[in-house]
Amino acid sequence: MSLPEIWGFQHEGRGVGIRHHQLILPSVVCSTVVSRRIAQEVGGITFAHQHGCAIIGVDVAGIDDFFIALASHPNVGSVLVVGLGCETTQGNELAEKITKLTKSTEYLVIQNSGGVEGTVANGAAAARDLAVTYSHFPYPLEELVVGIELSRDVEIEPLLTELTHMGIKYVIISEAGGSAKHFSMLMSQKVHLIISFPDGNQPPSGFPLIPVLNVASNSPLHQAISSEFDLQSDATAKDMLEKIISTADHTKTISEQNQSGEILVPRLVRSV
Amino acid sequence: MSNSTSPLLGYPRPDGRWGFRNHILILPLHQALSTAARDIAEATPGAVAISHDWSGEIDKDFERITKTFAGFAGNPNIFTTVALTIGTEVETGIIERAKRFSPTPLVEIKLSDAGSMFKLVTSALEKATELAEQAAAQPRTPAPWSSVVLGLECGGSDAYSGITANPALGVASDRLVEFGATSILAETMEILGAEHLLAARALDPKVGAQIIEVVARYERSINYEGIDIRGAQPSRGNIEGGLSTLEEKSLGAAKKAGNAPFTGVLEYADRPTAPGLYFMDTPGHDIEQLTGFAAADVNITVFTTGRGTPTGSAVIPTIKVATNSEMGLVLTDLIDINAGTISDGTETLEEVGQIIFDEIIRVANGQLTKAEHGKHHEFNLSRLYGSTL
Repeated sequence: MSLPEIWGFQHEGRGVGIRHHQLILPSVVCSTVVSRRIAQEVGGITFAHQHGCAIIGVDVAGIDDFFIALASHPNVGSVLVVGLGCETTQGNELAEKITKLTKSTEYLVIQNSGGVEGTVANGAAAARDLAVTYSHFPYPLEELVVGIELSRDVEIEPLLTELTHMGIKYVIISEAGGSAKHFSMLMSQKVHLIISFPDGNQPPSGFPLIPVLNVASNSPLHQAISSEFDLQSDATAKDMLEKIISTADHTKTISEQNQSGEILVPRLVRSV
Repeated sequence: MSNSTSPLLGYPRPDGRWGFRNHILILPLHQALSTAARDIAEATPGAVAISHDWSGEIDKDFERITKTFAGFAGNPNIFTTVALTIGTEVETGIIERAKRFSPTPLVEIKLSDAGSMFKLVTSALEKATELAEQAAAQPRTPAPWSSVVLGLECGGSDAYSGITANPALGVASDRLVEFGATSILAETMEILGAEHLLAARALDPKVGAQIIEVVARYERSINYEGIDIRGAQPSRGNIEGGLSTLEEKSLGAAKKAGNAPFTGVLEYADRPTAPGLYFMDTPGHDIEQLTGFAAADVNITVFTTGRGTPTGSAVIPTIKVATNSEMGLVLTDLIDINAGTISDGTETLEEVGQIIFDEIIRVANGQLTKAEHGKHHEFNLSRLYGSTL
């Protein structure tokens, strides 16, 4: 069998995605609030983080690489980088690196844009211009890549068989702990969507930009909040496949509806 | 200024601490609840929320993180904290610790009891609205000078920092300490090279030795990463602002603490136990520092900046002081006070110190800062990752 016809979005320099998101990317913690205001005005996606300043060593390149991976993810249509001006991760340099991969990028710096209100106004205008220039461009999805997040022991073979049968590619992260860290790793592998099997003591989680399907276990916590899961503990591999395909074909997951999920940016070294 | 009758009006807490705000804090103890917390606070006048990326991981930073959450939940500017939890033992541990730390009331709402995110948000909204009404009805009462726990902060320093805003803040800090208030200098990196001058001001030689040791420990911790901090700092933003060396940056940064003697040294997020001037070991990272202050009872902060920054705290009013008029007169929606007038020659250090002192009183008594108007509620967990202390 092969994948049924699914229309995705052709994204310049990023391939075909299953969502058409505009990313408002704060290059530093100091621009996260301004970024959220811009995102709220234009319907873009942003996230709070605590990085970009007072970083040293391997984290300087690591943070750059992570932000570049986010900005060049196939589910992203365009990116507005918002910097403060005096941080380590300079917004303009980050934007230049992203521009080398895709031209659908703009940047703004609070200290040069008249402060908070000026940056929100200029940022919203720039984001709208980007959204017009790099608008919806429906395109058939030739390849679907699914991230499989295993934070608990799961009999995963049946799902893998179904995916292979359907010609769907997958990447697996199998590791104990919270899901957020694993989602970041899968994002860097450019998966279109994620199916997550969280630890029985962890709630379902989401990831901005990437639809996440959460599968419940039989744990007391998961049973107590079963309505927060896209798939119940008795879901078969066929049920999962069906959900994966409908999600790829634009049906929103629960975490997308709630807009929940923080991004855990990988760090190795303390702040100075 | 010699008048030492306190004009302060605050909210007395049962254990003798004072708040200058009466917030309802919506505190998610798992990252998956951050969006819910934000939604609840946006729908409840008088409530504030934070968001973070922690999922209850028990690793090397666990103690630092739980101490931060527990202290933050009990900041005296909070009327009641509404903690949102998944319903795990790790979260119960933090809540128990927060209750031991302080009598600031705390309400817990568990996702596992609510049964769904929708029900959690609904019941938290109802509770927060009821609490916010109670908080709004509590009157301010006359507060003594000792009610002030002042946080001293700088970020995006430039060549003017050490001659305008920082020493002017030092004038205000000295006066408050003289009147019996508490003031906390922090950012270990930013006293590196000036530590001997601060140690010489210690009330007790043991405190002086602690200041020297905290700085040495910090430099060892950065050396451990294979980095020479004196080469990595000042930052690019600082250099563009005209600073040449870390020592120059430090000598200027330390001026925020005026000339008062040092009463003690605090570990990150630890609370001062008696009035006086303290040094707290924090990263120079603006928000990790501000979060550590909030966990340590700080109820008002003055933040000097050369380049301009909009950041603030969900629970601490943060007054921004510009070091130069070029920025201070342009980024007016970030800056509360322009100390650039000192280098312009239109005001003296003593005059701007008085302006900062008066602003601290006005803000303590209820005037909103620019960061509060803009709802700059940044919050960061300070992690050490693999680094040694």
